[in-house]
Order: sequence, then C-alpha cells, then structure tokens
Amino acid sequence: MELTRRSLLAALGAGTAAALTGCGAGTDAGGKADGPAEGEITLLTPIYEGADGKQLLEGKILKEFRKKHPDVKVNVDYTNYTQLNEKITTALAGGLLPDVLMMGVGWIPPFAAKKVLAELPESLAAKYDYEERVLEPSRYQGKLYALPTVMATRLVAYRKDHFAAAGIKKPPASLHELRAMAKELTKGDRMGIDPFSIDLRQCWETFLYANGATLFNADGTKTAFTGARGVESLQFFKDLQKDGSADYTKKTDGDAGATTNLQLGKASMMMTGSGLWKQLQEQSPDLIEKDLIGAFVLRGRKPAMLTGGTLVCQSARTQHAAAAQALVAHLAAPDNVLAAAAQRETVPGITSLRSSSYVKSNKLVDFSVRNLKDACAEGGTPAWMEIREKIKPTLEPAVVSGKSAAAAIAELGELADAAISRL
Amino acid sequence: MVTPALLHAALWIGLPIIAAVYLAFTSYDVLTAPRFVGLANFRDMLDDAMFRKSIVNTVIYTFFTVPFGMLLGLLLALALDRGLRARGVFRTAIFLPQVTATVAIALVWLWIYNPRNGLFNTLLGLFGIEGPAWLASTSWAMPSVILVGIWQGIGMKMLIYLAALQNLPKDLYEAASVDGASPVRQFFSITLPLLKPATFFVLITSLISAFQSFDQIYILTDGGPAGSTTMMTYEIYKSAFREFRVGYACAQSLVLFVLLMGFTLVNRRIMGGTRGHD
Repeated sequence: MELTRRSLLAALGAGTAAALTGCGAGTDAGGKADGPAEGEITLLTPIYEGADGKQLLEGKILKEFRKKHPDVKVNVDYTNYTQLNEKITTALAGGLLPDVLMMGVGWIPPFAAKKVLAELPESLAAKYDYEERVLEPSRYQGKLYALPTVMATRLVAYRKDHFAAAGIKKPPASLHELRAMAKELTKGDRMGIDPFSIDLRQCWETFLYANGATLFNADGTKTAFTGARGVESLQFFKDLQKDGSADYTKKTDGDAGATTNLQLGKASMMMTGSGLWKQLQEQSPDLIEKDLIGAFVLRGRKPAMLTGGTLVCQSARTQHAAAAQALVAHLAAPDNVLAAAAQRETVPGITSLRSSSYVKSNKLVDFSVRNLKDACAEGGTPAWMEIREKIKPTLEPAVVSGKSAAAAIAELGELADAAISRL
Repeated sequence: MVTPALLHAALWIGLPIIAAVYLAFTSYDVLTAPRFVGLANFRDMLDDAMFRKSIVNTVIYTFFTVPFGMLLGLLLALALDRGLRARGVFRTAIFLPQVTATVAIALVWLWIYNPRNGLFNTLLGLFGIEGPAWLASTSWAMPSVILVGIWQGIGMKMLIYLAALQNLPKDLYEAASVDGASPVRQFFSITLPLLKPATFFVLITSLISAFQSFDQIYILTDGGPAGSTTMMTYEIYKSAFREFRVGYACAQSLVLFVLLMGFTLVNRRIMGGTRGHD
C-alpha cells in the first residue's frame, strides 16, 4: 500500500480515536470470587522491600500460599510508596492493573469510588480480630474494600534524661503544656521539640486531630479543617518556631536512616514513628540500655495518634477473583502480618498479635499497639489523592516564611473544595 | 525509503501529541473515560498558584543555568582545545556528569548539601562558619539546585563547543596573526562570530533541557521548601501521577510546549538560527 499524506492522517486519526476511547474505559468485567482459586495473578506491593523483604514474601508467605492454592501462580511487582501512584496510574492507563494491590491508608475511597477495587465479603473483616479503628480506613460507604496488614503510627518520642534534668515528671496533657515544656527544654542548640522530622502533612494532621478537628465531614463531601481549630494547629508550629523551640531547617530524615535530632540530643521531643526503635537499636543502643527514650500520644483537646499503614485489596478488574481474594486473605493473616510488621518495624493491626514477642521487643510498637484507641487516619474523601499532594506545599510557606496560618489553611481549603467539586 | 521512519514518528510522536492536545481539553483521571471540559483546565491553571510559581521558578532556573553553563562550557572548550596536558582525562571528567544517572548525581549532591555532615558545611565549619540548611531553606534551595544544574550540563555544552572550535578554519587565525591581531581580538572577531551556529544550537538545547529539569528536583527537594524549587515539569508530573489529573497535566504540558516554542522562535529571530556568520 502506498503511503500518502491522506492515508497517514487517516491512520493517525483512527489510532488516536482508538487510543482516546480506550483511555480509562477499563472494563469491570472481573471474574467471580466464588469459583475455584486458580490462574496467574499479579501482586503490586510497596512493602516487602529489599532482599529481606523479597525473601519473606517469596520464600515464606507466597510459598505457603502456593501450598494452599497450587493452581494459583503469583507474580510480584515490587515498588515503594514514592512510586506507587505512578505504578497504579500507568497500570490503569495500560489496562494492566494488578489483581491484588497493596496501598496506603486514605487511598481506599478514591479507588473504591471509581470502581477500581472489588468489594470484599464482610466475613473477611470478622475472620481476624481487628480493632474497629484499624478497620475503618478499609471501608468506603460502609462496604469493605481492603484488609489491613501493617500500620505506621505517629507519636511523640522524648528524652527522659532531658525531662528529668528540667524537673518534668510527666508528658504534656495539652498543646499549651507542650509549648511551655518545649520552651523550657530548649537550651543552646538543643530544640525543645522537633515536630518536622516526619512529613509535614502527617505532622499537621496529627496536631489537627489532637486539636479536636477533622479533615472532612463524615461522608467526605466537605472540608472540615478550615475553622479556627485547623488554623490553630498550623499556628502552633509557627509559635514553636517563634519561641525558638523548633526549627524547620533542622529537621532530619529519619525515614532515610539519618541519625535523628533526638538521638543526638539536639531535640528533647520529636514526632516520629515506630521505626525509630530499630534505628535506636542500630545507631544508639546506649539510649535503650539506659532507658532514656520515652513516648507519649500527642494530646490537645483529645489524644491523637495518626495511623497510616498498608492495606491489601483486590482489583475489580481481575479475571481471577477467587485467586485474588484468597491472596488478600492470606496476606492479611496473622502470621503473615506479624512477619511483615517485624520486617518493616511497623505495627500489626490484629489484636491477638499484641502479646507477640516482636511487639514486646519493640517498645514503640508496643506503645502504639496499647494506644490504638487513639488512632486516627488521614483521608476520608474520594478526592484524597489530589488533596494529599496539596497539603505540604500549601502549608509549608506558613511554616518557613511569613505567610499566615489562616491564609495557608484558607488556600488549602479552597484547593480541597475544588478537588471535591470535580468528583 | 522514508515510510518506516514516517510511520514510527506518526505512531510514537504524532499520536501522543494529538492525544495530549485532546486530553488537555478533558477531565481525565485514568480511572474513568475522558470527559470534554473545554477550557476548564486552562482556567484552573490561572488559579493554580503553585503552577504559576513553577513557571517563575523554571524561568529563574533557566536564566541562571543556561548562560552560566554556556559560558563555562565555552571557557572549558577553549582550554581543552589548546595543547593542555592530559586533556583526554579532563574531557572525560567534565563530560562524566552528563552520562551519569541524575539520580546517582543527586544522591551525591544530597550528601554535599547535608547541613550536618555534608561537604559544604564541613568545609565552611573549618573557617568557623555555620553553613545553612541548603535544601531546606527557601533562600538557598534554588541556588543549590541551580548549581547542580550548571555542573551537570557543562559537559554537553563543552563537547559541542569543542567540536565547533576544532572545525574553525585555521587560515583565518594565521591571517589575523599576520595582521597583528591579539588573541583576545582574534577570539572576539573570529572565534565568537564563527561559533554562532554552535551557540544557537547549545542555547536552544540548553533552554529545552532547563525547562524540562525534573530528576534533580525529584530527588533533591521534592519541589520544596514551600514550593521554592518546584518546576513546570515537576508540577506536570505531580498532576498526572500523584493527583491523577491527567487532563490537567496535558494542559500544563501544552503551556510548557508553547513557552518553549516561543523562546525558540525569539532566539531564532535574534540569532539568525544555525546559519553561519554573515
């Protein structure tokens, strides 16, 4: 066939039309979950990182799954949380969404609302003893779309020796007390508190919840953080810096393994996660031996421990629903949850695991487990994927420059409202 | 003969461009089919303070990385064009950042900029100066990123200038020497005018490269602090892959395309394109 300008344009037009009509029009024609568990399925996971994680998943967890379900072959697609969105976006665009996906707290409503995830039978929620707060982020409009695996908590760790030297007997019972204590503990180049060594979004959310506010209304259709309490929670960071008790530029990247200000004695209190314990064991074992590290739940109008984590869910587009559902249940089983939690130094979400030797050996995990009643989660709206990306860059100018807390919160509110209105 | 190349270009370049232009006028989140929304994405862009900021940041970044990079590239090329000892080693060393993965480079720079035990602050500490938190300070983050950009881009600029220098006619210099022209005069009257096509090429490719800077921002600053280093490409990436607003990202890409096209045409008009010195 001779290639002419007309035929080329026609081919381009046809190709474009095919591409565009194909975009996002994924089929919902998934297989049936009540059939036999068989077929080849793919798991997309942001956890089980590194050689140890791979060994745990493929050498233990999936090996046992294979014994139970010999007709199911599982291919694993490893990623991390930074690149998880990209993986999902490209998978959706390419029509190759994995059969089983592991994703973060707050991610369920956006994907469930768009019918990307399959509803799971309620019996799975009752299969293991979950605290309801742990299970909450797995639901959307009352329906179950995921099962929790491991959780990551945000708490305040403190130096007992600094507290003792300052004559402080117990952790602060209010944000007002926290500010006064931070001021008192600030000495020389030591900050009273380092709230910024965790992600600013999660940090602000913890203070927001502790201040008695929420991000959204119950059904996720309206923002709820733009009132005085939302502004106060951001203003608190400005006040700490004004007092000289905190410094945004001195934050450390604890998640990347950098020695934290708390370990170095350059901060008396620090917002952190349960993973700090492993870091202490490896980098500052003397702090553990001398029992110099304590923890408390941030307490304002109410106690609040922000709890993220990893949930496992099933794609609505899988052709092997029974196999995918079996894998979801398997990954969320107590033994596998405990192994994953131990590998990542995170918190297992199943109540029966509270007395496990792993939990007892990691004081921050143990502390988190004992305080799960104060757990609060981010998200809660189908527009969360867009809004979560706006929080840090919108609030940061208030923390690092002269922008007022009220203006930053108002701007974030407008962005969040616009995102929700686009749903 | 040209059919395979034409088909390849149509399929892998033409089709995505057409799709991107179409998607720019839709609301498309990958999860559901695109919905035509007219100019809504472009209206949203006018209200998007962070995207406006990213345009300003990109222009600032380009304004510093391109001229400084070109100047340094030219100076290095002039130095290496002469009978320098071990010039092969120098050429390789200067070109190395160009062929090294930006991620690896950015990780090294992360260490250099580390406020606590990084190279810069350790050196400053020797003189009793407390260095800033280079990447966490709104004042220092952009200059820090610019420095990485200049350093990384010098190799290619140097290489193009070096190739151009080696092709300059030697007889002109001999004639100028006979006429008593000094080396400085020779540089400004012969070398620089004859390098005009190469300069135009370096300028355009550097502009495009600067406007498309992404990796170093992604690794070094994540666009922060307070959006002080966010760039257009980074905002486009965030819109598409983190916020699932693919239609909006396509609209942002169109703006980037128009800006780049505008800069290229203006430069072409000013410099006369790749034609030699008249």
